[in-house]
Amino acid sequence: MEPLSLILLTTVAPLAAFTLAILLLMQQPRLAQIVVIGGGTLSLAGAALLLFQGPMAPLRYLWFTSGDMQLRFGFLFDGISLMFGVAVALITLCVMVYSLGYMGHDPSKTRYFAMLALFEWAMLSFVYAVDLLQSFIFWELVGLASFFLIGFWYEKPSATAAAKKAFLMTRVGDVGLFIGVLLVLQVAGHFDIPGLLAADTGLVAQAKPAVLTMITLLIFVGIVGKSAQFPLHTWLPDAMEGPTPVSALLHSATMVAAGVYLMARLHPLFMGSETTLGVILVIASITALLAATMAMVATDIKKVLAYSSISQLGFMLLGLAAGSLFAGVFHLITHALFKALLFLCSGLFIHHFESNDLAQIGRRGGRRMRFATAGLLVGGAALAGIPPLGGFFSKEEIFAALGQDGVTIYSIVALLAAFLTAYYTFRMIFLVTRPAHMEQPAPEDHAHGHGRAEPWSMALPVLLLTVGAAIAGFWGSAIASGLGIGAAHHSLASMAPAVLVVIAGVLLAWMDFGRQSAARVGFIARIPALEKLFNNGWYVDAFYDAVVVRTTMLIATILHAVENKLFDGSFDRLGFSVLGIGAGTTRLQNGWVQFYAGWTVILIGVAAAYIGMGG
Amino acid sequence: MEQAVQYLFVGLVLIGGGMAALSRHVLYNIIGLGISLFGLAGLFLQLGSPFVAAMQLLIYLGGITVAIVFAMMLSIAMTLDPPPRTPVKTGFAAIAALTFGVGLHGLISTATFATAPPAPADAWAVAHIGSALLERYNLVFETLSVVLLLAIIGAILIARPDRTGKVA
Amino acid sequence: MNLESFLLLSLVLFSLGLFAVLAHRNLIAVLIGVELMMNAASLNLMAFNRFSVTDPVTGQVFVLIIIGLAAAEVAIFLSIILNLYRTRRTIDAEQLTELKG
Repeated sequence: MEPLSLILLTTVAPLAAFTLAILLLMQQPRLAQIVVIGGGTLSLAGAALLLFQGPMAPLRYLWFTSGDMQLRFGFLFDGISLMFGVAVALITLCVMVYSLGYMGHDPSKTRYFAMLALFEWAMLSFVYAVDLLQSFIFWELVGLASFFLIGFWYEKPSATAAAKKAFLMTRVGDVGLFIGVLLVLQVAGHFDIPGLLAADTGLVAQAKPAVLTMITLLIFVGIVGKSAQFPLHTWLPDAMEGPTPVSALLHSATMVAAGVYLMARLHPLFMGSETTLGVILVIASITALLAATMAMVATDIKKVLAYSSISQLGFMLLGLAAGSLFAGVFHLITHALFKALLFLCSGLFIHHFESNDLAQIGRRGGRRMRFATAGLLVGGAALAGIPPLGGFFSKEEIFAALGQDGVTIYSIVALLAAFLTAYYTFRMIFLVTRPAHMEQPAPEDHAHGHGRAEPWSMALPVLLLTVGAAIAGFWGSAIASGLGIGAAHHSLASMAPAVLVVIAGVLLAWMDFGRQSAARVGFIARIPALEKLFNNGWYVDAFYDAVVVRTTMLIATILHAVENKLFDGSFDRLGFSVLGIGAGTTRLQNGWVQFYAGWTVILIGVAAAYIGMGG
Repeated sequence: MEQAVQYLFVGLVLIGGGMAALSRHVLYNIIGLGISLFGLAGLFLQLGSPFVAAMQLLIYLGGITVAIVFAMMLSIAMTLDPPPRTPVKTGFAAIAALTFGVGLHGLISTATFATAPPAPADAWAVAHIGSALLERYNLVFETLSVVLLLAIIGAILIARPDRTGKVA
Repeated sequence: MNLESFLLLSLVLFSLGLFAVLAHRNLIAVLIGVELMMNAASLNLMAFNRFSVTDPVTGQVFVLIIIGLAAAEVAIFLSIILNLYRTRRTIDAEQLTELKG
């Protein structure tokens, strides 16, 4: 088939589903679900067929011309976008099907499904964008759709607060990104991504090194915001206020991955600036470590996954910044699969037990839920990096990329973070599956109104993703060839450190949480200061609260006072003085006609006298 | 002799005017108005216009004054005690009237007026007025009659009781 | 008597009428003041016609018209007074203050 019709199928189908659902089907949730899932299926089919056809020449259409600048709209079909597009469409479809069960009782599910479709359209259009400005537009639309989804339960104040926080914090990064995009226009004169990336005529050749550093740093600011990197990471844990399928969608393959995807997209530009790469390495390693420590102490299953998302995004950026496009993209895709799986599994637990607490889920019999437990095990093992699952190979690639110039501080940090990852993942698994004691399921649990604990609409996507996460590790060479890179084979010896830290992490988790006599308390509890630090997320939010929020409030208070006292006050005084003059002159209008007439007569007399005197 | 008659009329005008303006009793006001109008009619006669003087007596003295008396009787204002005067208001009215009078007097005393040649003896005859009213001032004359008609209709409309039959 | 003395007389009469209009509380007395002022104007016109205008008829016609208009005015004024008296039981100018600000 024509690439144009395929890409239109991929991107327009969700948009059409969204439009239909939001405009016509508000009253028919059943039909709306069918339409949206149909749109998602068509989209996945289009993306899969595109991937099947392999990389093609991009399509470009003139949007408008302004002076010398031509703005184009179009689609780019290279390895990155084709593979990532399929991942996005697949996971979105899984989430949609899963939501049939998860959101089945929600009164406004039409809005929910419509927003999912809107999100898919924005994300896919972003992925396939050929023009940097087009990318930016859809990047913002992704942010908007995620705002709607995170704040879906808008009657919960915490959900609206989280949605606002996510929107505002990503906006902070987007300002940087927008300035970067404008700088690109100034230097290159166009937004065409393949043109910008071209080795001989692209931006790297055109721009002075300082300007290139500037541009890439500014774009990286946008990535920091979107991919929840330190120090703008705090919106992501709060965004767990959204429905769990939304978390699965946003925090695995799409919203947060958009930042990493943008960096992969513009990878040659970033490779052109040593300074930027250094900054990214520092930020990403801080993020990977910091988020892992926070995940160690979180008791909310979704919080654990949220922090692990932040940490894994740091890993991807580490891989990309270390110079390996393959490592970053590989981890992006495997992470998309296993993290979506983990979120959907946690959704099964939460849906059934109506609790987010790890220990409580375990006590009330989490491991009796077969699909969820299987998914949790496979996804967790993939996240921890147990060979031969997805996460192991992709992380291995990152370590290899980091270690190609010998052992650096970054590879040590990455190993430490991987150790912590294994630890907190298995802490989660053990807490759910090996509780100290289990309550017998109360009879009324069945009459709870949910019917089956794991309805097929929810179990099927979990099953699919379980298989996907299990085998994703073997797609490495396919992905590498898709990117046009030969997959490097690593010796067993070079894999040893990664395997060792993972085993160490799992063992420690077993000691702390798994064995029968374990205390079910993390080793970190023995250092209360650290535990407190981790529990409070390294006080980043507190810092924002103390510095940014307070300062803003102070400025706002001052401005408010200025506005109230100075502007409002002076206008008030003007108004009041007019009123006073009015009140004074009203007294002249005492209603006596004779009084008025008398004044008139006096005036005429005075005028006559004035004329008479020859004035 | 003629001079004396003239001063008599002037005196009547002033005395009547003073009574009309200054007395607190409405009846005295009306009587004063009548005296003043009578004096004015005399002055018109002196000025050589017997027709206008006759009209003054007929319409003003005979019609308007009597109408005012009727209205006064209808509104029983006469039987009421004369309302007390407030000194502030009276003083204000006096100041206003005086200011006007003095101001205009200043205007009159400094102005110079044209003098016309003496008119022929028969110039003030009634026949001239009649022909002027029917020829030169025909439109004004007719308009006046329309105005009078409308005034009468309006007066009836305003003065009669409400259509609902409610008599206040 | 010359023009100036007639004008002076007319001015005095007018000022008296003015005072009556401004000072009296009874609306009928106010009406009488208005009549005085009109008559002062009539006297003025007659005097001007006699002493400084060649055409002898204009002033007289003017005065006749004033008399006619005065009749109309009195009719309306009196009917208004009657109406006021019927609806408000008063013809006191100081109590008719609906337009008070």
